[in-house]
Amino acid sequence: MTQLILALTVGILFACGAYLVMRRGKIKLILGLGLFSHGVNLLLFGSGEMILGKPAIFNDKANFLGELATRSFADPLPQALILTAIVISFGITAFMIVLLNRRDTLLGSEIMENELAPGYDWLVYTDDDLEEQRQKQAESKGNGSSKISGGEPL
Amino acid sequence: MNPNLLAVPIALPLFTAALLLAVSRWGGRQLIDLQRGLTAIALLVNLGVALALANYTLSGHRLVLQMGGWQAPFGITLVADGLTSILLTMAAIIFLAVLPFAIGTIDFHRERMGYYPLTLFLLMGINGAFLAGDLFNLYVFFEVMLMASFVLLTVGGQPAQTHSGIRYVVLNLIASLVFLAAAGIAYGTLGTLNMAHMAERLQTAAPAVKTLLAGLLFVSFGSKAGLFPLFFWLPSSYHTPPPAVMALFGGLLTKVGVYTLFRSFTLFFPDLLVAWQPLILGVAGATMLIGVLGAMSQPTVRRVLSFHIISQVGYMIMGLGVAVDGQNLAMGFGLAAAILYMIHHIIVKSTLILAGGAIQIEMGSDELARIGGLVSKRPLLAILFFLAAIALAGIPPFSGFVSKLSLLQITMDSGHWLVAGISVVVSLLTLNSMTALWRETFWGEYEHPGRLTPWLLDAPLRRWLVLGPIAGLLVLSLGLGLFGERFFQMTNTAAQQALDQAGYIAAVRPVEPESVAGPADYPAESPTDKGGHDE
Repeated sequence: MTQLILALTVGILFACGAYLVMRRGKIKLILGLGLFSHGVNLLLFGSGEMILGKPAIFNDKANFLGELATRSFADPLPQALILTAIVISFGITAFMIVLLNRRDTLLGSEIMENELAPGYDWLVYTDDDLEEQRQKQAESKGNGSSKISGGEPL
Repeated sequence: MNPNLLAVPIALPLFTAALLLAVSRWGGRQLIDLQRGLTAIALLVNLGVALALANYTLSGHRLVLQMGGWQAPFGITLVADGLTSILLTMAAIIFLAVLPFAIGTIDFHRERMGYYPLTLFLLMGINGAFLAGDLFNLYVFFEVMLMASFVLLTVGGQPAQTHSGIRYVVLNLIASLVFLAAAGIAYGTLGTLNMAHMAERLQTAAPAVKTLLAGLLFVSFGSKAGLFPLFFWLPSSYHTPPPAVMALFGGLLTKVGVYTLFRSFTLFFPDLLVAWQPLILGVAGATMLIGVLGAMSQPTVRRVLSFHIISQVGYMIMGLGVAVDGQNLAMGFGLAAAILYMIHHIIVKSTLILAGGAIQIEMGSDELARIGGLVSKRPLLAILFFLAAIALAGIPPFSGFVSKLSLLQITMDSGHWLVAGISVVVSLLTLNSMTALWRETFWGEYEHPGRLTPWLLDAPLRRWLVLGPIAGLLVLSLGLGLFGERFFQMTNTAAQQALDQAGYIAAVRPVEPESVAGPADYPAESPTDKGGHDE
């Protein structure tokens, strides 16, 4: 019965996640991805052998195969897997939220019509190097002596 | 050979990157120079280790490291065989080649935001994914690689970058979750996550388990590799970061997906290579065709190149499809040809992206309609781009010729005329697309749409930082083409090793916990896990 409820929950979470991810809007996207990862975490939880009332720790490294054979400790692997998966999905979700906010700040909208906002190619990002280069070239044109000998074809 | 060497390609980039992060927040350009120097040293050591591993494994050995002395299904296992070490070497070469280009072109802001530590984290994730001996660590290293690539893709924070970054993150995250679900199902049905142990138990598993697992892995790895219905994240994001970043991504990230497909299908499901052959070959053909047709319709240099990545991945999957097929040629010929193609593609694609990036920075734009006539100003760049373009299309004496020829040979030998025909047509269309690219960029009247004067290739030092790596990678491609037979023998060794499922299981030697009655049967220390107790 528990297994069935677990399976149904995983299925419902996947379905809701897929629906939300395919909707337009950033909050729905973030929630959808969250539901997806919860679904997968529950699936991982259900994948282990459930032993009731035992800690997920064994006593002796040299004897761990023996302890495993007598089922004297619970399966620690699903817990470790879920913990890792939670940490990873937490990190990615945080990154996603920052990224979405950053895009909205830059574009002023949640929906992007064009692939490239005009005038916002990464090259237009005039960096120090480019600026310096331009100044140096202007200077070298001015006083005639340049360290960077430009204009020569290779 | 000391198996602890296997930890170096993971630990070295990790610790170097941590060190760089510690110093990167303060100070100005002196510390950037320090970062560059340390990165160069780390990448050189990494290349040395990868070459040593390749030298050892390509003579037919496998190297296994059981972390902390734990026996195989319980501990973390790292495995290197021929395929792994070939790809480790390729990753090391590409990172080393892109470094001078990055020094020449990456702007100060991105460097200060941690470009160099991020590339090292990316290298760690890629190396780890190649070396991982169990499914969950493969997932973790995938995530390390993806996190580093998310940040590399969006650092700089341009609108195009953030917008494409969102698509990239979401689709890769979903693919990763499918992979994680596959890992959970593997643990639930097989009771293990160690790859050798899984392979052992899958031999007797129910067909439903096999189909489910293979399907989930094919979808998730295929989406990372950029296969036909799942590739759309790639061309919508790869053209937005700086060219140095795109060269790393285009050369290596999709190849990690291809590697995991090779590994999972040869190790877990060797029988499905036959049963699913129509599916694999169909996907391969569609990927090739859609990729090249997409490339022909694109308006900018880097978008064309990112569509060509997809079309080239199709060839590798075609090699996987005929891996155990063939009438007159030896078994494994297809996989060997696919591995050779992978080597060729990693080299040539990175070269082309670097050259395309140089064009873009030089001209201020890479829109084909707006640029032209660059050959009069930069003849050397024009020659290098032309050589790389014909290498991609498969003109001798470059590496594209031998690898495409061997793939075509095995596909025709096994009687798959339709896919073979598609691959020939795609080759022709690739040549057409590449010559069109060259013509639009270098031929005709000189048109320079950029607002700034051309600057990239003016300073002699920067010119060699930019053109040196391109020329060096082309020399590698030429070497691969000229000594094709020797390299094919190497990849053949790797392919035979990859197809030798029993050998892989024997090398890792997973213990069966159920069969071990008690402490008396605890397996003795094996020669492969000496050392490594300090982990």
